[in-house]
Amino acid sequence: MSTFVYMTRCDGCGHCVDICPSDIMHIDETIRRAVNIEPNFCWECYSCVKACPNHAIDVRGYADFAPMGHSVRVRREEEKGTISWKIKFRNGNEKNFVSPITTKPWGKFIPKLAEEASPNQGEINSQRLYTEPNGLNIDGDLPTISKDTFKKGVYY
Amino acid sequence: MFYNNPFSGLTELVSPLAVQGFTILMVGLVAFGTLMDIIHKKNVKYFFNNAKKAKQNAKVVLSTGQRTSVILKTVAHDIATTAELGRGKRRVAHVLGMYGTIIFWITSALLIFSFPTAGSTTPSAITIMWHVGAIITCVGGYWFWLFLRVDVLAEAHPWYRIIKADLFVLALLACATFGLAWSYTQFSGMIELSYLFLVLYITSNLVLFGGVYWSKFAHMFYKPGAAIQKNLAEADGSRDNLPPLADAPKQFGLGIKREQPKHY
Amino acid sequence: MTKVKTHFEESDVLIVGGGMAGTGATFEARHWGKDLKIVCVEKANIDRSGAVAQGLYAINCYMGMQWNENQPEDHVRYARNDLMGMVREDLGYDMARHVDSTVHMFDEWGLPMMKNEKTGRYLREGKWQIMIHGESYKPIVAEAAKKSADKIYNRIMITHLLMDDEKENRIGGAVGFNMRTGDYHVFKAKTVIVAAGGASHIFKPRAVGEGMGRTWYAPWSNGSAYALPIAVGAKMTQMENRIVLCRFKDGYGPVGAYFLHLKTYTQNANGENYEKKWYDHTKNLVGEYIDHHPTPTCLRNHAFIQEVMAGGGPIHMVTTEAFQDPHLETVGWENFLGMTVGQAVVWASQNIDPKYTNPELTTSEPYVMGSHATCSGAWVSGPEDLSPPEYFWGYNRMLTVDGLFGAGDTVGGSAHKFSSGSFTEGRLAAKAAVKYIEDKKADGIKVSEKQYTDLKEVIYKPLENYTVGRNEITGGTVSPSYISPIQGLQRLQRIMDEYVGGIATNYMTNENMLNRGLELLKWLEEDLENVGAEDYHQLMRAWELKHRTVTSQCVTEHTKFRTETRWPGYYYRGDHLKLDDENWHCLTVSRRDPKTKEFTMEKVPVYHIVDEKKEKKAS
Repeated sequence: MSTFVYMTRCDGCGHCVDICPSDIMHIDETIRRAVNIEPNFCWECYSCVKACPNHAIDVRGYADFAPMGHSVRVRREEEKGTISWKIKFRNGNEKNFVSPITTKPWGKFIPKLAEEASPNQGEINSQRLYTEPNGLNIDGDLPTISKDTFKKGVYY
Repeated sequence: MFYNNPFSGLTELVSPLAVQGFTILMVGLVAFGTLMDIIHKKNVKYFFNNAKKAKQNAKVVLSTGQRTSVILKTVAHDIATTAELGRGKRRVAHVLGMYGTIIFWITSALLIFSFPTAGSTTPSAITIMWHVGAIITCVGGYWFWLFLRVDVLAEAHPWYRIIKADLFVLALLACATFGLAWSYTQFSGMIELSYLFLVLYITSNLVLFGGVYWSKFAHMFYKPGAAIQKNLAEADGSRDNLPPLADAPKQFGLGIKREQPKHY
Repeated sequence: MTKVKTHFEESDVLIVGGGMAGTGATFEARHWGKDLKIVCVEKANIDRSGAVAQGLYAINCYMGMQWNENQPEDHVRYARNDLMGMVREDLGYDMARHVDSTVHMFDEWGLPMMKNEKTGRYLREGKWQIMIHGESYKPIVAEAAKKSADKIYNRIMITHLLMDDEKENRIGGAVGFNMRTGDYHVFKAKTVIVAAGGASHIFKPRAVGEGMGRTWYAPWSNGSAYALPIAVGAKMTQMENRIVLCRFKDGYGPVGAYFLHLKTYTQNANGENYEKKWYDHTKNLVGEYIDHHPTPTCLRNHAFIQEVMAGGGPIHMVTTEAFQDPHLETVGWENFLGMTVGQAVVWASQNIDPKYTNPELTTSEPYVMGSHATCSGAWVSGPEDLSPPEYFWGYNRMLTVDGLFGAGDTVGGSAHKFSSGSFTEGRLAAKAAVKYIEDKKADGIKVSEKQYTDLKEVIYKPLENYTVGRNEITGGTVSPSYISPIQGLQRLQRIMDEYVGGIATNYMTNENMLNRGLELLKWLEEDLENVGAEDYHQLMRAWELKHRTVTSQCVTEHTKFRTETRWPGYYYRGDHLKLDDENWHCLTVSRRDPKTKEFTMEKVPVYHIVDEKKEKKAS
């Protein structure tokens, strides 16, 4: 597959270089624009496609098995919390999808644990994790099992 | 220095006609280089083929009036303010470099063609703007060169690493820098040095305008064309096969995009 | 090559890997260690790194204890059954009892979870799975880690763990290099939590050109989860338990939502339900396991593989019925877009609209990892209240090296954790690591300069190999004195494919083949001293290859040791073509001696801490 970059749209901002989990988006030395240097290590994860501010990156399905003439393009809009997809088949059929990507402002409801209350004395010796047992929304404490029931090496 | 017309000093050595002829040659080199690029790479052919293909996906047909409006808006906004670079330092640096160069070139042409021998009677507005243009070019250009280039910022290459893509910006910076140095040394009476910088200035211009075929110079013609095509595609609904903007309020702030692309 | 700069960092907790498990560990560590120094090191960029880079459409591990949907015992029974009895039930129970609090946090943080309109509960895809719009799953959990950590290092590949020079078998930190700056990084730490990736690309994939990139598990999961602990002599378990997946052809797109939510089913090319045909055949192999409900994943694979070998292929999934419902059609497509966009690309390119065409399925090449329907990984201690004495040595999720912890793919025996379970396991490991520090177990660690300067030379050698060796030839990729990372990778993949049960042999192997595989792997290991890297990116690929090779050796040793066919459909021992509960109802554990590189293997009892639920057999 893999990703490729449109000459007319890329302005060499580096967001794709910065985000690629495979480290395969790099800057071409002749034109100082992005290029996929290792398409056979591209997972089609679309991280670079979504990150590009100019929509300069697109995907062409893997040459091993994807016939030409298709298009799967995306628009990730962080501030709106949406992701929009447009799929075009080789035969021209089209499908469109829009999904939410967050329900809350980014990071706002993620706690900074350094500023939260410390665990109680001795809590570290318990089996409870942060927010528990309340965070499990169950009655009572964390489930456990009595060791009397353990069966060694035989099957049930 | 700002009132100095360095070309007047030059025309004491060579005839104004020679200087003007050289300038026309530079313009010719740009045209020639760009034409060679277009013929060899067939990029204009690709561009118009692509535009035709995209038109087939158009949801609406734009009238001439609508097309003109889009084109004018593109020129006034996308091109004049380098909108494609978004908000941030790269855009500011590019705008500085762009207008600095435009001012520098226009005032150069005025000095060369209208006031080649005028000396101290040259209108100060023009000489000031010639120097200011060069300085602004340097501010934008060196800022870009040292800090903002993506291969330096995102790929951690050292600022002194030079690649083929640097041909244009380095030649441009050389012209502006050596031009200023030439004017300063000429004005201060450092004659030998001023000749050195004159030679460097001329060489830089030759590299800049002669190197069009190998550098990114011609992109200053291609990019506006691309911007116009992009906005026309947005207007007629084809949008390069991209989905439309989502119909939802901007309420969640920025996530990954709040930081610059430098995580290493 | 300019002189390489060395950077030092000291921390209390060092988390290697910033994926689901790593972010879980980093996040939770701050709660228990308010004043501790917490550092996470990630090979790529934590915002999109790991297996969840493109997102997920379902959280596959959620009990729903609050609604009495499942209890931890149910998870244990499920995982045990799916892995043909071979799991660490203590680890599974432990993860399952905590995973709900993890998922509730994700909900609070902004991860869009689909809700059942009638009941208001999280919308179930199946018994264990709930559906999410998880395109931004990774950035959300990455932000949680960033808020907890003192520092997150990106673009640094950890190549080796450091050991304490003072006290034997105690961890001292880790080292690696920055693939942008090229700098050397030495991390001294009191505890290390390995939360790196499992192993894709150790067996030859079905697509070998550009399509190599379309692995089921991320191509950047290079087995560091295993190679790092193996190298320091930590014990590993169940490394033979590789996983084969039945997924959509070419794109390896997920089928879970299709089977569970859309209620689709499979058929062979003649429109038959082929699975029933192989009942007797499978019963001959594994006995009464075939009667368990649900049918273990490997046995379903087995039927698929046999049917294809017998000429009944291609196998299709019948979608044309379900896709008539527009809601289900949307789910079917969004399932890919939020998780495996590549499958949508494949279908768009081949004009496959599941409304009118029943798409083809395939079985993948094998993968080795620890968080899915498989549980290869390190041998770790369980929690005190749940672990039999043989499974507990002081600190939950600690490996057999003091101060070295694991989470996610790294940990063996805890299957079916998926994303939420891996994050949870990270939380468990982090808490235990902090306790380890508070118990003063990490006092007095000394890492000698010799240790990390020796490693520096080893780490950068591939660059040297290339630069010097390059002088021998005029150009090109063929050199008699060095191999490139891709050349080495293709050789590794071929060895595993042909001898250790890859698709070349329809997952079949035997002792003769395994011995030949070990021999070839040994030569590859030797040749990797001569891998040549042109730049820092290639250096990273070189170390990915080295980690993959060590992992492969361990996998092969384990596969040789277990002389039975426990998971037909994952792999077959042609010389022991039966499940052998009498001799092999146990776990396998190995240890590679750090100096001699010799593997020693042992059997370890499997403890069943949860009874089988008395329920009627499936009809």
